[in-house]
Amino acid sequence: MKELKENIIQRLKTNFADAVAGSEFSYNRVDVHVKKETIPSILFYLKEEMGYVHLSHISCVDWLEEGEFELVFIVWSPVDKVKVFVKTRLDRENPVLENIDMIWRQANTYEREFREMFGIQFTGLVAPDEFILEDWQGPPPFRRDFDTAEYAKKTFWNRPGREDAQDVRETISGRDGEEIPDFAKKYSR
Amino acid sequence: MRDKATTLYIGPQHPGITGNMMVKVQVEGDTIIKARTEVGYLHRAFEKLQERRNWLQSFTLLCRFCVPEPDPVEESYARAVEMLEGREVPERAKYIRVLMLELARMGSYLLWYGGQNGSLGLYTMGQWSVGDRNYILDLFEELTGGRIYHMYIWPGGVRRDLPEGFTDKVLRTMDYFEKRLKDYDDLMFTNTIFQKRTQGVGVISKEKAVEWGVVGPVLRGCGIKSDIRIDDPYEIYDQLDFEVPTAEGGDIWARALVRRAEIRQSIRIIRQVIEKMPSGEIYNKIPNPLKWALPKGDAYARTEATRGEIGMYIVSDGTVNPRRTHLRGAAYVHGVSLLEDLLVGENVADISAIMNSLGTCPPEIER
Amino acid sequence: MSFFDLTGTLKPLTALKQFGKQPHTISYPKVKKEAADRYRGFHYNDLEECIGCGNCSTICQNAAIDMIQIEGIDGKKGDSGLRPRVDNGRCCWCALCVEVCPTGSLSLTKDYLYVSEDPDTFLWTPGVDNPEGKERVSFTSTGDSSLNVFQRVPMRELEGKERVKSFAEVVLGYNEAEARAEASRCISCGICTEVCPDHMHIPEYINAIAAGKDDEAVRIIYDNNPLPEMCGKVCTRRCEDVCALAHRGEPIAIRWLKRYATETAVTADITHEIVNPVIKESNGKTVGIVGAGPSGLTAAYYLALRGYDVTIFEANAKAGGATMYGIPKYRLPIESLDKQIEYIQSIGVKIHFNTKVGKDITFKEIYEKYDVVFMGVGFPAAWTLGIDGEDAQGSVQAVNYLHAINSGDKVEIGDKVIVVGGGNVAIDAARVSKRFGADVTILYRRRVEDMPADWEEIEGAEDEGIHIIPQAIPVAVHKDENGRVKSLEYVLAEMVPDERGGRPKPVEIEGSNTTIEATSVMAAIGQMGDYSFLDEYAETIKVDRGRFVVNDKQQTTDPKVFAGGDAVNRTADAISAIADGFRACKAIDEMMMGTEK
Repeated sequence: MKELKENIIQRLKTNFADAVAGSEFSYNRVDVHVKKETIPSILFYLKEEMGYVHLSHISCVDWLEEGEFELVFIVWSPVDKVKVFVKTRLDRENPVLENIDMIWRQANTYEREFREMFGIQFTGLVAPDEFILEDWQGPPPFRRDFDTAEYAKKTFWNRPGREDAQDVRETISGRDGEEIPDFAKKYSR
Repeated sequence: MRDKATTLYIGPQHPGITGNMMVKVQVEGDTIIKARTEVGYLHRAFEKLQERRNWLQSFTLLCRFCVPEPDPVEESYARAVEMLEGREVPERAKYIRVLMLELARMGSYLLWYGGQNGSLGLYTMGQWSVGDRNYILDLFEELTGGRIYHMYIWPGGVRRDLPEGFTDKVLRTMDYFEKRLKDYDDLMFTNTIFQKRTQGVGVISKEKAVEWGVVGPVLRGCGIKSDIRIDDPYEIYDQLDFEVPTAEGGDIWARALVRRAEIRQSIRIIRQVIEKMPSGEIYNKIPNPLKWALPKGDAYARTEATRGEIGMYIVSDGTVNPRRTHLRGAAYVHGVSLLEDLLVGENVADISAIMNSLGTCPPEIER
Repeated sequence: MSFFDLTGTLKPLTALKQFGKQPHTISYPKVKKEAADRYRGFHYNDLEECIGCGNCSTICQNAAIDMIQIEGIDGKKGDSGLRPRVDNGRCCWCALCVEVCPTGSLSLTKDYLYVSEDPDTFLWTPGVDNPEGKERVSFTSTGDSSLNVFQRVPMRELEGKERVKSFAEVVLGYNEAEARAEASRCISCGICTEVCPDHMHIPEYINAIAAGKDDEAVRIIYDNNPLPEMCGKVCTRRCEDVCALAHRGEPIAIRWLKRYATETAVTADITHEIVNPVIKESNGKTVGIVGAGPSGLTAAYYLALRGYDVTIFEANAKAGGATMYGIPKYRLPIESLDKQIEYIQSIGVKIHFNTKVGKDITFKEIYEKYDVVFMGVGFPAAWTLGIDGEDAQGSVQAVNYLHAINSGDKVEIGDKVIVVGGGNVAIDAARVSKRFGADVTILYRRRVEDMPADWEEIEGAEDEGIHIIPQAIPVAVHKDENGRVKSLEYVLAEMVPDERGGRPKPVEIEGSNTTIEATSVMAAIGQMGDYSFLDEYAETIKVDRGRFVVNDKQQTTDPKVFAGGDAVNRTADAISAIADGFRACKAIDEMMMGTEK
């Protein structure tokens, strides 16, 4: 298994100059990081040349603090019985990636969702504008800087009847006169 | 001819499936010339909500990703968390998990019997199978405390051990089903109406299946032997003896045959699990859930569910809250672009049957 | 296959054989389905067991649980007085609330049907709305299934045989990994803070430790305790008695965690750097403090931070009071205490050592020179046994013995030491004597379980080979011809239940007199105050039953004079003294700044 995984990485590195191996795993998983331009070609290569015929999953992670989106393509080979995670990073300010739905048709659905939920543009994607959201005016809601709680507070209201709820810590400190300094409060429950 | 096309809206009230979605079709006569999936009726942003919850709280949301069969989702989440954390799971817990998964598979297929036949107007089958499904739900209730939402398989193992006499009850239920499934065959598979309505309808070719990322019974109905339990085994499936049924044709009929055979394989697996089940711990306890941080990194665990491959991709930034959880639903690939493509050229009366045969599950699509 | 396929047409008709069969379904309401034994139905809360920690409310991912005041349930120490109320419109029956309940009071029942014409009855207070639920409990929390971590991270200690060889610190302290693990057990309810006399911000600093922010923890700790490392080593830690986890497991090691955090600040300079105290500009007011014990140091530290000019007068050569001279060094090393006092001095507190008020300086001088006076004078004098032969050479008071040892003096005790008493002082004197190679026996008039000393100290003493004779009352000290202690005579006692419901009383058993050899007898049966230094001020500063009379602001009957510590409170421990000092500081500041409420 170890040898097989090394071979996979080696082959990808030989064919794609920007491919960098990610962390190692004890089970059947190989990670490889590439530049976003390489994504269509490396996926095509994996599918057509290496037998990774099944696209298991595509995911998008918002690394807000780093100013990047990470796209993860998980492909599977029924022969090697290995999952290859192809990862790439997109600039959060201008997230553009090439459409890959000619390689796997189901990618179309993923791309539609990421376009809507993260605001990532896929060049060449043909799909209706709206997917899950309807008449949505706000920012792409799955971005981490979109505060769902804040949005819910603004949009909805609480049913009355629960105003008498108390905070345990405040109740106790109020009773015994403890003064919790402000800098400590972020560590309260 | 084009200008005579009519637009029809199928759904969103459970168009032959569990969950709300709509298919907007353009028909000429009763032949579909264009189909467009409209989802969004069930979007609850679970994945976003999970980012605000801690790793344990997230677990209680999982069962709502798919109502008929919530356990594979729980299992893949639990396993992904365990992978990321390197947490060992006791052997007995793995057996109990498989028992749960297979019972869930049976329950889900029984519901499918009802749905598939209901979409063709054969309602008696649905009365029977959904009634029989209650016997499985009774087992769930006794084991987990909940009939539909079990919230039972969680990171580290399972929540409670088997109650006394539980395995006997399971075996008795299996005996019942072995007899009972014959009635189903008489009513459904030998039924001319069922055959005529399903054979040659909603055909997916082998090539198309690969190209569109088809999984699960739908893929096996195209004659491709593929099952995660065998290919990428998890829990204790590599120690069990069972077959992966396939059928040729790629139509609704073939998919039905696969499911018919699989429910029998589940019974076989359940009997083995009960026979081999070791004693011992059921839970490798997690630390205080409020302060339970997972190491940085990501993990992806996938499970073979009745709709196909269910996967859970989780990312941790080292805090007590997930950075990202992302469900990979089988219906996500079947229920949108594939369905839109498949419906073209089909008869309008077969929409529900095709949707049902693909295992379309809207809560999984929009999450 | 033609449309008229015979099998395909006829086979489905076998469905008719079901005709007349018993249906699967049961007919409601004739038969009410009894839920399974583990069913997750409506909540039930055992109101007596519940301590209102609110962990259920915290874990609830639907925000369905509120903590509310309930008529008839008042908050008390160890109980917030609040109880959970469930919004059943939000509840998803996941039962995580049950899994995290530390006391196990919360459970789910078999009841799942509720019908009301009032749409506003979605709020449900378990236990109040369904007292009958007790009989219907189904999904419950057991020690095994609970998600609380009930086992404490064990504290590493020196072996009993090793530790009697020296005064090396017995408790080794948590390392970083142990501290993080122990801190992460905490459920942060804060119930502990109420019993802490000083109301330290316990959940906050424990959470800071759990989050890996030791510096923040130290800052939070120093918010109202300037001697935390001392407390981290020797505090009586009543907080741990009421810990929510203590109901079914071991309490959080609050004391050891405080110790861990403060020990990360290795020197006074580093402490200064971490705490980074904001010292207000001088306000020109002066405060004189009698005694550099915990209460005096605390008042001094916080007054100095608030811009006061503070001077402490200390009779001994070192500060710390009873924590310096009363506690053996294997529990509280001298370097540790010195570090904390050096830090207190570093922010501008002046201490005059070897200056006994009443001898080296009069109380009058202090009273007249300073705007305010604070007295933290402690209990310097010891009770004697009041039995024959107590004047013998080698018959001493345990506190005096500890004082001498801690001052670095040599005391001749011989090889057979008998300590009389059951408090921490008795155990300390015994364990110190053991370290000088003596055989040590402790006599105590009640049973071992009645001993007021910390159980850890008692266990520690037993580990070190100290013999405890319970229910033994000394009657006489016998001298040899040189006037030295030769033996101690005692009688055994039986425990007689107190008719008024108090604790059982020891009553002498006649004729059970026993004599044991001894080279030294130490009395450790209590201490008392010495207020002779007050001179003419004794008239205005009132003392009642051995203690200063103070109001709730630590103010004595002379408004200019405040007091704290053992000479004021009955609990007689360091943390109470610190609390007195802190309270006095606030009151003094209010009085001087004219912001009195």
